Amino acid sequence: MIRQALCGVIVLFCLLFSNTILADEAFITAQNGQSLDIIDLTSMTTRVSVPIAGKPAGVALTKDGRRVFVTSPEGRFITIVDSKAGRIEKQIPMNGGPLGVVVSGTGERLYVTDFYDDRLVEIDLNTQKQRSLPIGSKPAGLALTPDGKTLLVAARDDNQIIFVDLQQFSRLDQLIVGRHPYGVTIDADGRRAYVANVESNTVSVIDLSSRKMIAELPVESHPYGIALASGRIFISNQHSESLSVFDAKALTPVATVKVGDYPEGVCASLDGANVYVANWFSNELWAIDAVTLKVRAKTATSDGPRAFGLFVAPGL
Amino acid sequence: MKMRATFFKKLVVAVLLLTLPCAAQAAHGASPLKVVEELKVDAPIEKVWGVIDDFAHPITILSIERIEASGNNTPDQAERRLFLKDGVMIKEVLTKRDEERFMIGVHRKTDNLQLLPAVNYTSLITLRSLDQDHTIIEWKARFYRGYPNNNPPAELNDDVAVAAVKKLIAGELAALKKHIEKPIGQ
Repeated sequence: MIRQALCGVIVLFCLLFSNTILADEAFITAQNGQSLDIIDLTSMTTRVSVPIAGKPAGVALTKDGRRVFVTSPEGRFITIVDSKAGRIEKQIPMNGGPLGVVVSGTGERLYVTDFYDDRLVEIDLNTQKQRSLPIGSKPAGLALTPDGKTLLVAARDDNQIIFVDLQQFSRLDQLIVGRHPYGVTIDADGRRAYVANVESNTVSVIDLSSRKMIAELPVESHPYGIALASGRIFISNQHSESLSVFDAKALTPVATVKVGDYPEGVCASLDGANVYVANWFSNELWAIDAVTLKVRAKTATSDGPRAFGLFVAPGL
Repeated sequence: MKMRATFFKKLVVAVLLLTLPCAAQAAHGASPLKVVEELKVDAPIEKVWGVIDDFAHPITILSIERIEASGNNTPDQAERRLFLKDGVMIKEVLTKRDEERFMIGVHRKTDNLQLLPAVNYTSLITLRSLDQDHTIIEWKARFYRGYPNNNPPAELNDDVAVAAVKKLIAGELAALKKHIEKPIGQ
């Protein structure tokens, strides 16, 4: 009797515990609705929608998910959101058009592409000091290697990936990829980078040690963002309303998954079991099972979800 | 003084018109704009779809002189060149065709700021059946302001682009409604 009751308590505790720990959250920038939607991914409901001006586009999160960084290309600032409180902590002015954003592993520095003035900007979050590097024409997506030493930036109109040494804050190398590279993603062990080439309908696979292209995968029309989950590559195709799915090891096609209208930002859950995609035209976030490729759930977002960046973090 | 300002504005627009082909490739820039309009048509969805789905023969408010079309109705292959009365040519491609969802996508490859102060204009047209005799045509558009960089001149800013696209789509929807509801024999 006591034993059964104890078991019951343990089960109940585990359920509560798992619910609080496993509830990842998505941070979706809605560019036309001008807000950041914070969505609980277990219940697929919006916990809070934080109004952010200046047509918010890019998003980055600290590892613990406590701070969110949002770029506003038309407002010329970065907004820092306290994710737990669901409110704006501060705004940092930045000239030009801040678009893509990543945060360093320590959460102390931000790297932002200035799409309008062709720069990479580093912001020291402790001192607020900024320095910049000319980075090529129309810099868009960017990604940080897991060791935090190298940054890859897509210079869209140069059809190039620029490698930046972050210790020196200088250009290390560049590589010609497909036409109009936009989204960039690096795998967890820092071996490969994946680049969506919007105008050539391909994804470039880059070996990071040699900094050479090892494959160019054909996808559907206007690929935009890339997520890695369950040993697979997921690419959102804006004009085809689909995700192209490839095996990450063999680099062979697995399937094409139909999603909402005009998919843009795509990101894996922390355990890699799910992939989330923001659909810009239909104002929805879809959850796709990364293994079965079935649509698990959909939820409405504010107008024009863009979610350009790594937008999933552990819930608090 | 005012005349000079107007002249300067015209000059800016003229220079932009000349240099625009470079910027026109930006299908995925910093701040895309969106317009969504819909209109109820008194016709069954199959009839409306029959009109929407004929990519080579668009019903439009544009004053078209002739059309050259190729690629049938195959997405990413179907292309139409609309030659307007004033010598302007508009090239559009079919980006999407979904028979089950009654949806087509059309992307304009040629930007023309005098015709429309917006660039990279893409439409997604979806039909929704209300009942046997009534259909909603939903027309969603994605585009950028006419000057897609920062500090746009006033006549090429977001508001101007949105207003122009709204007006265009409202006109296109009204033309479709009129065509579809026209009694047989007229």
